Amino acid sequence: MFKIPVEDLKDKAYNLRFNLIELLYKTGSGHLDTSLSLVEIWLSIVYGNKYRFDPDNGSMVERDRIFLSEGHACPLQYLINADLGYYNKEEVFDGMRQPFSPFQGHSVRNLKYGIENSNGSLGIGLWQAYGNAIDCDSTVYCLAGDGEFQEPLSLSIFAAATNLRPAGNFILLVNNNELAQDSKIDIGPLLEVAKSFNWQTSSVDGHNITAIGEAIQYSVENLEKPSIIICKTVKGKDGDPALAGKLGNHGKPPKTEEEYLAHIEGLKQSRRN
Amino acid sequence: MREAFGEALVSAGQTWNNLHVFDAGTKNSTMSIMFEKEFPDRFLTLGINEPGMVGLATGIAMNRKPVVICDMSVFLHHALAQIRAAARQGDDIHMIIAATHTGIAVGPDGGSAHDTTDIGRMRLIPEFNVITPFDGNQVKQAMITALEKPGFYYLRLNRPPVPIITDPDEKFIIGKAKKFSDGNSVTILATGDRVYPAMLAAEELGEGYADVIGISTIEPLDEEAILESVKKTGRVVTVEDHMKFGGLYETIAGLLASKRPTIMRGVGLERKFTTSGMPDELATIYKIDVPSIIEACQTVGKD
Repeated sequence: MFKIPVEDLKDKAYNLRFNLIELLYKTGSGHLDTSLSLVEIWLSIVYGNKYRFDPDNGSMVERDRIFLSEGHACPLQYLINADLGYYNKEEVFDGMRQPFSPFQGHSVRNLKYGIENSNGSLGIGLWQAYGNAIDCDSTVYCLAGDGEFQEPLSLSIFAAATNLRPAGNFILLVNNNELAQDSKIDIGPLLEVAKSFNWQTSSVDGHNITAIGEAIQYSVENLEKPSIIICKTVKGKDGDPALAGKLGNHGKPPKTEEEYLAHIEGLKQSRRN
Repeated sequence: MREAFGEALVSAGQTWNNLHVFDAGTKNSTMSIMFEKEFPDRFLTLGINEPGMVGLATGIAMNRKPVVICDMSVFLHHALAQIRAAARQGDDIHMIIAATHTGIAVGPDGGSAHDTTDIGRMRLIPEFNVITPFDGNQVKQAMITALEKPGFYYLRLNRPPVPIITDPDEKFIIGKAKKFSDGNSVTILATGDRVYPAMLAAEELGEGYADVIGISTIEPLDEEAILESVKKTGRVVTVEDHMKFGGLYETIAGLLASKRPTIMRGVGLERKFTTSGMPDELATIYKIDVPSIIEACQTVGKD
């Protein structure tokens, strides 16, 4: 199912979280909690057996595409693309949120760097990704936050499968951490809605790499319908346990050494458990 | 202009075999239906879903294929966020947005349907060329030019037929204004379907009175041609079927304030909703008709 053993992916998840905490502490702004909740989902995609990419040829036509719709999770995107070999991790640490760097506060499309879409305003990436999917033979992944379904446009994506055409190569992964910036999120009957518009649906533990991998594999091998995979996650997963899964920490990086150490300690603790 | 646009689309579809055209449930109004008949596989109508249309078209453009988005102008308000997001995707994107039914020329459908702020909206989005053709010939030529290289192009079209005032073979150059008559007393800068009334006004004002310059790209502006004329006449009248706010008037005022402060008068719409009526009738009510242009030319700088 994966290009490397699951245990190695777990190590990567740990290291990515460590780097996320370091990066956002250094940068002083950015969305740590959302990034922490997406780690296993993103790893499961890019280390999937069938995921096609070439870090030396970012605009390769046959590449699979990842559209990040919830753009504030870009710190994770920047670090994972470094892990995949598009550039060095140090570039991210030097350039994060700096003037004119490729690592802006929200992603700016840069195929050479493996960044498929510019983002920022929520609820926009889904339709871009779907359009891209109906026009190519690659697998197009779209990462969306559960809060994005409060935008009416996001909900209407399900009708695209019936009104336009079903894009069987389209896989929508919903980061269902149940927390938006200022309120809790209940996605309600989202899966049922998708199903009634003839989508393939599944719901998985968004921190279980094997479970996500199996759901993705099913979608990649069954191309008649577009897929939605709801990934249950914890916002701030494996950071400071006093903050994880709690409302009110959106976009708040560690500002003091004490806050930073609480995140690092939380991460180390998670490995011991 | 709409028929010319439909013909231009079909012609573009023949030249560019990877061109995709989109509409949001108005294909028989925008005339994109003409493209659909020829190339059904490269046409998508989204129904009443303007943001979805722009998002979907952006996604296809991100595969480095040219896209043309067609809609009745006022409905594109729905998709402003998506249009801005498209412009953020980079300079390899090739996107034309063709907005029909602009200004009070839409007529009887009334103020809710009159899009009198689209130039202003599109000027505020980086990367977009804002193109406002004078007639059907220019629509066709502007389409040919806009398809020549990637970028973002907003094409402002009219609902009712307008007289032909340009040569069918005249190459459209972005950022280049067109001079229609020579004069020493006033510079008339007109855009879109208001160029023809400006020419009529200049005729009535007499030979040698007005420089009539048609502005067919508001972004980027032909600063050189405008400044050269203004240097000679010292007085400016702008003419547009659009609010003066955000429109040609304010654009020119911005240019002249920094380069050559000049007394101006704007023939255009106020910041108010407009009423139902026939297009010519509305042009008179809102003072963007020939007599209003003449009056502005005679009085600018003299009161």
